[in-house]
Amino acid sequence: MLFNSIDFAIFLPIVFLLYWFVTQKNLSLQNSLIVASSYLFYGWWDWRFLSLILFSTLVDFLVGMHLEKQENATRRRVLLWISILINLGFLGFFKYYNFFLDNFVSIFSLFGAKFNASSLQIILPVGISFYTFQTLSYTIDVYKRKLPATTNFIAFAAFVSFFPQLVAGPIERATNLLPQFYKKRGFSYDKATDGLRQILWGLFKKVVIADNCAEFANTIFENSADASGSTLLLGAIFFTFQIYGDFSGYSDIAIGTARLFGFNLMQNFAFPYFSRNMAEFWRRWHISLSTWFRDYLYIPIGGSKVGTWKKIRNTLIIFIVSGFWHGANWTFIVWGALNALYIIPIMLAKKNRNYLDIVAQNRVFPTFADFFRIVSTFALTVFAWIFFRATSLEHAINYISGIFSKSIISIPDFQNMGSALVTLLLIFGFMAVEWNGRRDQFAIQNIANIHSRPARWILYSLIIFIIGMYMQTYETPFIYFQF
Amino acid sequence: MRKFIRSIALFIPFAIVIYIVFTLIWGLFIPQKLNKNLNYRIGTYGHMFTRLHEAKNVREVDFLVLGSSHAYRGFDPRVFSQHGLVLFNLGSSNQTPIQSEILLKRFLKTMQPSRVIIEVNPFYFANDGVESSVDIIANSRNDLLSIKMALTINNQKTYNTLIYGLFRDLVGLNKSYVEKEIKSEDTYITGGYVERQHETLQWKPTILESQAPNEKQTNAFSNIILMLHEMKIPLLLVQSPITQELYKTYENRVQFDQEMRQSSTYINFNLEPALNDTLHFYDPEHMNQKGVEIFNQQLIFILQDSVLNGYNVQPEKAAQKAR
Repeated sequence: MLFNSIDFAIFLPIVFLLYWFVTQKNLSLQNSLIVASSYLFYGWWDWRFLSLILFSTLVDFLVGMHLEKQENATRRRVLLWISILINLGFLGFFKYYNFFLDNFVSIFSLFGAKFNASSLQIILPVGISFYTFQTLSYTIDVYKRKLPATTNFIAFAAFVSFFPQLVAGPIERATNLLPQFYKKRGFSYDKATDGLRQILWGLFKKVVIADNCAEFANTIFENSADASGSTLLLGAIFFTFQIYGDFSGYSDIAIGTARLFGFNLMQNFAFPYFSRNMAEFWRRWHISLSTWFRDYLYIPIGGSKVGTWKKIRNTLIIFIVSGFWHGANWTFIVWGALNALYIIPIMLAKKNRNYLDIVAQNRVFPTFADFFRIVSTFALTVFAWIFFRATSLEHAINYISGIFSKSIISIPDFQNMGSALVTLLLIFGFMAVEWNGRRDQFAIQNIANIHSRPARWILYSLIIFIIGMYMQTYETPFIYFQF
Repeated sequence: MRKFIRSIALFIPFAIVIYIVFTLIWGLFIPQKLNKNLNYRIGTYGHMFTRLHEAKNVREVDFLVLGSSHAYRGFDPRVFSQHGLVLFNLGSSNQTPIQSEILLKRFLKTMQPSRVIIEVNPFYFANDGVESSVDIIANSRNDLLSIKMALTINNQKTYNTLIYGLFRDLVGLNKSYVEKEIKSEDTYITGGYVERQHETLQWKPTILESQAPNEKQTNAFSNIILMLHEMKIPLLLVQSPITQELYKTYENRVQFDQEMRQSSTYINFNLEPALNDTLHFYDPEHMNQKGVEIFNQQLIFILQDSVLNGYNVQPEKAAQKAR
């Protein structure tokens, strides 16, 4: 079920009313409702893959219980590896089987060996990368005794399958989300209205910004061989906003929906395109995944408290793994490695902890120096996104060579250029609102501070109107569903 | 919780009112190019304003034609009148069964046609109907049928255009509008026809991907068949000529013919073409005046022959006879 669909617009109020009016007196019943509605939400796409979620839930629940009781270090390690192998095994099979097979065949063919291996037609279960990492975080935390194992299966099943963030995150930590299923949730007017505000903004980002940018980014990337340098550059910029609007929009809708049900999810995006260097960008982009890799991969392999070469190695590892997490294609691996190359000099210069504050904290506009840093960082991200969007490394390299050609100094030209100007205007307005709200959790959170209710309502209605006037009129899936 | 529900209940009508107000402001003051989902274009392509204006006063016709531009550029009332037949053309740009149904409901009782002809092709059923719906909304006075059409299409562009169209109708902003009879190369001919002055084919066809029929369109088409059946008005489905080069790109053409034959009397003029791609078309989809005249004569011959001899139109046989 897509957040931007009529199905979800019907599903959400029904679950909301059942949750607060029918099951509110019984915590177990309320959690059961969350599990049932989450399974319905997921099964709407393909019910067959519900068995994967259920199996993963059962495995980690049982492993967690045994880890809690077990004192023997070796046996505890074995239990942890059972969970890791099963969860990553599913992920590996569904997401990476064909990639590894194709690459093995290619490598062996270089040496003259021939294999008759053929790729399988594998459907990637939606959200598998997200819920796999979420359940793994539980097992690892129980293993590290950071969290007591749960004995409440329903609460655990609700934690694994919680529908707002099941298919595209934020990837929640068990330490944050699981305890929220143990406590009775009280309805809070402020929290619910804040949730609705965040849903509205997320919807705007998705259906106005991302979907409109997608139209042009797709056209330009698919016809890149014939496009001028300036057109290609514009295509990359459109994709830069598409992926931000799409993914952060999804996160906003997920966080806002969770707030309607009394839950607090972690912030996943913190205005990343206003970052002043790449280290700041990675503290602000897909925060739940970056911190997951930091806590469960980077720190266990030594983190930054090691020698220079190991620090470089560790940074390369987490960025390459992060790239590979996004998809089974060399383009994602290069995208990850490129980001590591951006970060390593900053780390070596010990500037990675710079810019922990909010840009232009007490000012309306940034200083010229900050503005220059923001623009440079943005340019680096645009460049990296080309690898992310391209269908192959060859496509990415040709695309980049196309940008750095003489035709970079020309007026972009492609089908529907007139409509593209409208989208550029929308992006400009969107970034202005984001800039204005950069001190908050999401850009329009500060509307709550306006005392006049009619003024607040007019602003919400205006956003609804802009959605209605500029949305794409067909349903478009979220990009991150494919990961 | 009560406060929350009450706020939502108050906010919804508030937001609807503000939405309408902004839609009107956008329609009145923002240039059309900047209005992605509001496409109110009165008197543009296809002379729909004049056609619908004329349709209001038309009574008792022999043939009422519906369909896309293939219809309003392919059935010339002047050719029919040479044989003493009255034809009115209610075609519109990218018309789909949803619009055909609405137009029939509006005009069938006043026009009382002896026979209805619908120009059909795979795209008539596959199209979402948005372009044609906004064309009808902008070029006629809207009524409950327009609202029903918008609800059936369920597209934001249609809703926004309808809100603005209803406002213009209410205030009477279109009252003094007069559409030019000649626009660029198009001339409006009484009876709903649009003639284009072009001699020969100027474009190469683009390959059209075959599309699955839209369920809403097939439902509307079934409604049309039922409605005409109840009113005892014979329905003739016609696939008018397009260039053979384009026709051959229709992947599902055989299956389409079978489905049309099952629906009603059907003639496909592309099976054994009487027209030449280069001489009788000005673009891959539309005949030039010479082509229209040959095609219309052919159709009239089939229709008269079938009426005189008292048999129902048999598509392929009739087409062969005409040749």
